[in-house]
This record gives sequence, C-alpha cells and structure tokens, in this order.
Amino acid sequence: MSRGRVRAPLMRRPHAGWPWLALQLVLAGSLLLLFLLPIYALFTYATPAEIWSAATSAYVGQSISFTLYASGFAVLAAVLFAIPLGYLLGRRAFRGRSVVESVVALPVAVPHLLVGLGLFLLVIPGTPLYRFTTEIGFPVYDTIWGVVLVMVFVSAPYTVLAADLSFRAVDPRVVEAARSLGAGPATAFLTVTFPLALRGIVAGLLLTWARAVSEIGGILILAYAVYPGGPYDGPVTSTVSVLVYDLFQAGNLKGAAAVSTVFLLIAFALFLAVRIGERSGWVPWRRGELLP
Amino acid sequence: MTDWSVEGLESDLDRFHLGPVDLALAAGRVTAVVGPSGAGKTTLLRTLAGFVPAQRGRILRGGDDLTVVAPERRRLGYVPQGLGLFAHRTVERNVSYPYEMRGRLDWKPRTRELLDRFGLTALADRRPARLSGGEMQRVALARALAADPELVLWDEPWQALDVEARHALGLVFEELRADGGIPLVVVTHDPGLAFSVADAFLELQRGAVRRVSEPATLLADPKDSFTARFVGFENVFAPAELAGAPAGSFGAWLARESGPDGVAFARPALSAGPGPWRGVVRSVHPTPEGMAIALDVDGRRVAARLPPPYPPVLPSLGETVPFDVPAESVRRLG
Repeated sequence: MSRGRVRAPLMRRPHAGWPWLALQLVLAGSLLLLFLLPIYALFTYATPAEIWSAATSAYVGQSISFTLYASGFAVLAAVLFAIPLGYLLGRRAFRGRSVVESVVALPVAVPHLLVGLGLFLLVIPGTPLYRFTTEIGFPVYDTIWGVVLVMVFVSAPYTVLAADLSFRAVDPRVVEAARSLGAGPATAFLTVTFPLALRGIVAGLLLTWARAVSEIGGILILAYAVYPGGPYDGPVTSTVSVLVYDLFQAGNLKGAAAVSTVFLLIAFALFLAVRIGERSGWVPWRRGELLP
Repeated sequence: MTDWSVEGLESDLDRFHLGPVDLALAAGRVTAVVGPSGAGKTTLLRTLAGFVPAQRGRILRGGDDLTVVAPERRRLGYVPQGLGLFAHRTVERNVSYPYEMRGRLDWKPRTRELLDRFGLTALADRRPARLSGGEMQRVALARALAADPELVLWDEPWQALDVEARHALGLVFEELRADGGIPLVVVTHDPGLAFSVADAFLELQRGAVRRVSEPATLLADPKDSFTARFVGFENVFAPAELAGAPAGSFGAWLARESGPDGVAFARPALSAGPGPWRGVVRSVHPTPEGMAIALDVDGRRVAARLPPPYPPVLPSLGETVPFDVPAESVRRLG
C-alpha cells in the first residue's frame, strides 16, 4: 500500500464538503456585512432621543412627506409610461429595438449630475420649454415637477426593464388561447398578460420607487429648494436626500444621521409590508400562486 | 353542427411558407395532422385559429368565410402546445373564462356542469401548477368546450402524459366524437394514439400537404420514410443504403423492391425452415406480440420478431438465424 489510503467512494459524500460551504458563507457574508455596517453606523450615531426629535420636527417631517409625495408621482409616471414601453420592448419585434433598449439603459449609466444639468439647460428661463411648461402650468425649475422629472428620468428604466422581462416571460401561446376563447386583444391583455406579468412589474415599481427617493444629483441642480407650485402648496422644502446633504455640509452630523435613520425606517417598513403582503396572500400575484 | 372546409389556404410565418392546404372537416370527424418537426403542423393550426394571417385561400364554416375574421370570433376551441392554461386562475376560473368573455350570466352552473363532466369538480379551486398532466389536459379540453366551439384544434394532445392519462384522454376523445360531432383537428407525433382516434390524416412536409387520406391508406402506401416509420414500419432503407449490394444478397433484393425514396417493411418473422435470408442476432427482448429481435444482415440492422409459441430454445446473441420478408409486408416509398 505504498500509494497511500484507498479513496472513499463518491457515494459516501452526498453533500458538498464543508470547505466549499464555508467559502460560500464567507463570500456572501462579506457582502451582507458591507450592506449592514453603514446602516448600523447611521442608526447608532444619533441617540434615540435625537432620532425622535428629528422624526417629530416640522421641517424634517415636511421634507419626508414631500419626498414620499413626489416619489408617488414618479411611480405613477412609471405605471403610465414605463409599463407600455416595457410591453413594446418585450412583446413586439421592430426595427431599432436594440437602440431603444440602449436608450432606456442610458439614465442608469449616466452620472446624475449630468442628468440634472441636461434637464436644467432644457428648462431654464428663456428656453422654449421653459415658456411652454410655465404656460401649461407645469413649471419645472425649483418646483415639485422638477423633482418628479429627475426622479422619473433616473428611476423609470427599472420599471421598463422589469416590465420588458415580465411580459417577455408570458407564454404567447397562453395569450393565443385566451384570444381564441373569445377575448379581444385588449381583454386578453387585461385578463391574462398583465396579471401574469404583474409580479415582476411590481418588483420593478418598487425598485423605481427606491431609486426615486434616493436620487440627489439631478435634484441638486434642478430643484435644490422646492417652492410651492403645482400639486405642492406647502412651505419651501427639499427632498430628504438634499436635506441630509445640507445637514452634512453644515457640519450637523447627528442631524444628518437622525434624518437618515428615520427615512431608512420608513423605506424598510414599506419593503417589509410588501413582503408580508406576499406571504399573507393579499397581493394579486400571490393569489395566482405564481410563487413556487 | 357545421362542416368546415379549407380551400387553398396559404400563409407565411417568418421565412416559412405553408400550403396550399385543402381540407374538409366534417362534423364529428377527427383529423390528425402529422409530419416531421418543422413541417408546419403548428403553423397550420395557428393559421386556422387566425394567429397567422392567411395570404391566400379561404377558411369556411358552412357558408361563412372566416379567413379574415378575428381569432376571438371564429368559435374555435384552440388548445395550443403546452395547453395554454392560465396559471393565475383556478381550475374553475380557467373553465369559466370563455363564458366570462361572452358575458354569460349563467356561467356558474355551466362551468360546474363541465367540471363535473370531466371529473374536475374536486379540483375546482386548485391552480394549474398543482395539477397532474392528465388533469391539466382535462381542464384544457373543458375550457375549450366552454367556448361552445364549432371546431376544436389541439396541438399535441398527448404530450408529456403518462400511459394512464393517455388512455383516459383517448376515452375522452371517443366521448367527444360520440356526443357532439364537433370536428376535431389534432397535431401529433404519437402514431398509436393518432390511429386510435383519427378518421383522416393530413400529412405535411416542409409546409406542403403531401396527402389527405384515410388511416388504411397510410398503412397501405406510406409514400415516404417519415410516414412509414410513423405508421409502424420499423425497417426503412433509403436507396443510397442499398446501392452496391452484392448480387443475390438481401440488400440486392431490397434494392429491387425499393421505390425512388426507398423501401419499408414490417418486422419479419424468424422462419422455421432454412428461410431465404439470414441474419446475426444482436438483441432479444420480450413484447406483448412476441420477442423483438434485432438482426444484423450484411451490416444492415433489421428489426425482426419471433411470435409465440416460442421454440424450446430462444435464439441467442451472435447466433445466425433465418427469416423471411413476405412480399405483402413490403412498401415501395416515393
């Protein structure tokens, strides 16, 4: 037996060995740690009392509710415009589709200060778009519409992409079955295609919302301070991202951390609510039991 | 029930051309569309259903020209490949869908009736994902019938079904044919089941109709190697495979019997006497009809059989055995 021990038969090792498992845990765990540590730092930098006073202060509350309000418009815009674009990309073959797909990916790739600058140059006083938007009652510069515009620009691609993939995943034969069973094109879309794609689309809308509320670059340029106008008639305010940036610039680290914590808790609660909704079965796609 | 007819129907899908197809679909008759993969079987069904526009020809239901009518107005029960069940709806709401589309207020009792008829009542609240293959099949058929169709088109009815479910579905077809007389067109790769239900066969090849015929015609004259194999001739030889066989050999005899597209013959029985031909046994396995025996005949593989009653000693591997190919079991192809 000079060649050493006989190797154990493969059958005796139904599971991967522990080194492989340990490697996976270390690699995955490192990333999770990277996600969690800054949040831990934020949550612990300000005392609970400071966080509470931030949460209850008028100007922070104003900023938070304004951000949620504006992001609601952004999500609405994504529903109205991004889902149809996703449908076109996912369901129809046309010339130049890859060009359109690249254009959709553009806002994700471009630095957002440039986005703000581009929009700014489009709508500053003196430009035709400035006159037009002002005349129809949608002034953009330093208004809620400016915030919404930037938000839609940077966040709608996520819904377009999610809708594209979700519609693509709906088997066209299922839709054809619906058609031949008596559904017109629009009815087949509403009763079959859309419900089947809904889960992915909602996931895209959640991403859109998250991206919208976290935007700062474009907003800094186009709507640093938000004056009342359009659907917003509260006091002068700014988005949470801008507010935190301001506090940080002013050296108020505790305030910045406190506001961030409050907003993180709200965002976390929203995501948790959707997850719980999925589990409890009130969301439509869960009722469809598309989840395994 | 109305008779349907298809006249000179042609359609194009991407670079594929289908037709011209001429076909009469009489009430209560089952037509099986057969042919190799890519022959245009599914395209034919989708053209009939209105999802691929007809370029030429007509689709007639009785006296009505449906050629340019929208799919939802054709009164068809179209069951696509994979069945096309709605994953987000329960069995009941799948079956009730056509009633809902027509705004029928009595959809509940009608749906219940269909569920009952297809043995689906206990499954009414389940989603398709939780059904067995056979159950899904029944849901698809019940749903198609809920549309009160005047023609049922079914792509691959037996796909991915286990033997029990296949048998059950065969019985459903029998029942369909017996009670209503809805004409049925099925696309299938499954010869056994096609022969058990079909009154007529439409053979497609590369988009063109080779023939529309009775089942017996297919057996008597399979015409090409695909159909020969489809109807159960296990020995099919192309002319190229037979070229150059030495005079007096089995190959030379086959070459003489061969048509322009080759020759096919059913499993020959091993003969008791010396037999005109001899082959080396390569495998032996039992079937309900007897022993299936694979022979090597001058380098050609020939599927043969040994019907019961069996001799005291079965042929063993490597043994040379005699066989005879009766002239009536040989088909010239082409």
